[in-house]
Amino acid sequence: MGKLAFNMRKYWPLYVMAFPGTMFFILFKYIPIGGSVIAFQDYSVFKGITGSPWVGFKHFIYLLEYPDFYRVLRNTLIFGFLKVTIMFMVPLILALMINEIRHSLLKKGIQTSLYIPHFLSWVIIAGIAFEMTSLSGLVNTIRDWFGLEPMLFMQMESYFRPMYVLTGLWKDAGWGTIIYLAAISSIDPEIYESAVVDGASRFKQMIHITFPMLLSTAAILFLLDIGNFMELGFEHVYNLLTPMTYSVGDIFDTYVFRTGIQQARYSFATAVGMFQAVVGLTLVIVFNRLSRKVSGGGLW
Amino acid sequence: MLKRKFFILTLIVLLLTSLVVGCSSGEVENLNSGGETNTGSNQTASKNEGSVKEEIVDIEVWKTTNGKKGIEKGSPLYDFYVDKLGVGVIHPYVDWNGGTGYLNQLNLKIAAGEMPDLFLPWGGIETDLAKNGAIADLTDLLPEYAPNLWKRVPQKVWDVVKANDPTGKGRIYYVPGFRDYGVQGGLIRKDWLDLLGLEMPTTQEEYVEVLKAFKTKDPNQNGLQDEIPTGGREDARWMDHLFAMYGIAMNEGFPDWDIYDGELTYSAVTPNMRDALQFISKLYAENLLDQETLLNNKKAWDGKINSGLVGNYFHFTWSVGNRLADIEKAFGVKGDISVLPLPKVPGYEGFYSYKPTLDPKWVVKNNQDEKKLMATLKLLNNYADESRWPDLYFGVEGMHHVVKDGKRVRLPDDYSTMQNDNVLIPYDDIGTLEYKSELLMDAASEDTMWFMEQNVRDLRDIQQHVKAIAGDGMPGSVYEDYPDIRSASLYVEYATKIIIGQYPIEKFDEFVERWNKSGGEEVTQKARNWYQNLGK
Repeated sequence: MGKLAFNMRKYWPLYVMAFPGTMFFILFKYIPIGGSVIAFQDYSVFKGITGSPWVGFKHFIYLLEYPDFYRVLRNTLIFGFLKVTIMFMVPLILALMINEIRHSLLKKGIQTSLYIPHFLSWVIIAGIAFEMTSLSGLVNTIRDWFGLEPMLFMQMESYFRPMYVLTGLWKDAGWGTIIYLAAISSIDPEIYESAVVDGASRFKQMIHITFPMLLSTAAILFLLDIGNFMELGFEHVYNLLTPMTYSVGDIFDTYVFRTGIQQARYSFATAVGMFQAVVGLTLVIVFNRLSRKVSGGGLW
Repeated sequence: MLKRKFFILTLIVLLLTSLVVGCSSGEVENLNSGGETNTGSNQTASKNEGSVKEEIVDIEVWKTTNGKKGIEKGSPLYDFYVDKLGVGVIHPYVDWNGGTGYLNQLNLKIAAGEMPDLFLPWGGIETDLAKNGAIADLTDLLPEYAPNLWKRVPQKVWDVVKANDPTGKGRIYYVPGFRDYGVQGGLIRKDWLDLLGLEMPTTQEEYVEVLKAFKTKDPNQNGLQDEIPTGGREDARWMDHLFAMYGIAMNEGFPDWDIYDGELTYSAVTPNMRDALQFISKLYAENLLDQETLLNNKKAWDGKINSGLVGNYFHFTWSVGNRLADIEKAFGVKGDISVLPLPKVPGYEGFYSYKPTLDPKWVVKNNQDEKKLMATLKLLNNYADESRWPDLYFGVEGMHHVVKDGKRVRLPDDYSTMQNDNVLIPYDDIGTLEYKSELLMDAASEDTMWFMEQNVRDLRDIQQHVKAIAGDGMPGSVYEDYPDIRSASLYVEYATKIIIGQYPIEKFDEFVERWNKSGGEEVTQKARNWYQNLGK
């Protein structure tokens, strides 16, 4: 304790600078965790936290007994899996490809056009998706040229997951390349030169130099993605969802929004959120341990 | 070195200025409203010479929003209501979004302790609010402070409200709407029928033939096969006419309750629904139902109707006029939208549903502030005063109506300039058919008479085809603990898939089973108990 006090007095400007950030986290992230207690109550806005009756695990049991619980869980897990595999690989591959572009202006142009969708909101992207697949939209017009019947993709279950992946990629793949490109630019060019001397082609260079050097960055990003596993982007799925695709698209977030928030059942909504958070935390811890065992490094 | 110091100094000044501006904006607003209240009290002060001192109290009112602007203090509609009703009405703009947007915002406000003083309860929240004492007990307040309203609504309707008291004590917690006439029905382009030499269809077979003719014979005469015979909107709503043929009780596309086989039953789980869904899926497969029906939001569907592409749709009879005006703009044709009498389906008695006792229209906050409570009751009292209704209908001069040749004429809706005058519509909430018809005719000018007449004609015509359903007046508390049943989400899932052909009709039986198991049985029991207690 004495050491800390001494430290604080000596480096007080640093502590002052860190103070707002720390306060932000404490006030907005840690203190509200206390509010999670309403997951164990029958919270009523009129009685407040202290006045609402305690019900223990009632809401959790209700969740588990919900007939469609397994459907919602399955959808959540599948989307999480898709996010962590396909949607994780694409930025990496894109970054490797962009790196190969020689022409500087072309490279910058492609990069910029790839990042821009990141700044659009999901409402816009879903709107574009609905428009393009509508009867008079681009996709069906092209199908018409080939003599095919028009298809309404947004109301078909079998196309929902591909739509999720496609729209997700369109929005965020470009943004994800930024970190990888930064990592690539920090690779020592001498390694490439010695590889050229050894007779390596561009492709061999990419596989044997660039890719391995990116692995450690990729591993960290992978871990972060796993932590966000349960956070599939409520906005993403909600905007693409229609009642015809609930069976494949309904995830915890959208389910809770419909039944919890819209009907003001805040206790239930909190219980589901808590369930998701516990699962997400478990996953991160498990994968971090694995990562440390396998590659010697992890998030912590 | 000097440049650097200067640069840093500029940055500091900028930072401080933005801090000051950001933190003081509240004060600036206070100054403004302070100025306004001053002028307000000046006006009342000048009125006071000779009259009893009357202070204008502001109350916050929430009701159906339709994309028009909100009502802020000092705005034209605010002043108009102060003038006509003696109360300051503040109404924020809230996105309706089929009701869910409104409900979300309302719940948020309630949770934050900022409940509006007077508002429309949606989605059955009045049950919870009444139980928690959040809304006022109106049983004694209304007869004393809002006698106009008390007398306007028939006693039997007040009895229903008392029977619906969630606390079980027979008290009145909400103001019901009351409309003794039906307003929604199937509407068809009669001018297309005339053009193609067809008679108004009387049987289901004839109806399907008409739809086919609409599709193939180009009645809008533009050389393209772009006609949409019939259709609806997402969640399989607003295509009620296709269900109504089979005697299915529906309220704006949501299945409702009526007597089937001698017992009060939810219409979605009856054999009628099975046959109806089978028929509709056939229409979809033959391309007679808009293929994008289940993806149409309100704007998209209205757009298709108003641009003259749709032959037959289901909606309010009194909005026919506005649509005809748009169709004329799009096609240069003066259309004729008539009521579609229900085509006969063998084995079924069709009808268009309506509920005379409308859903609750108003609840009053259990206000600690005596002045605001009195102002709310005063507003309700004046709102029910029939002599003020024409003024309320025509709205603000220059914004909602203009004066032509000494007569007031209602302007077509313009969302960029008009404020939401849907907040106070007593002629719709608690009015009669005769009154509404007269109002509509009064509002017509020479140019608009041709379609206003159709509004009134259709309003009258639909009456022979409507039936008041037994579920009329049922309280939302019946669905307590079963929010999924209340929102009909299981029905929507199955119905939509059956319609687009993804599920065969046999899946309907699975739906009924699941519905019953996930709370449908309990809700049905509660509903039947309620019905029996009504003493009918």
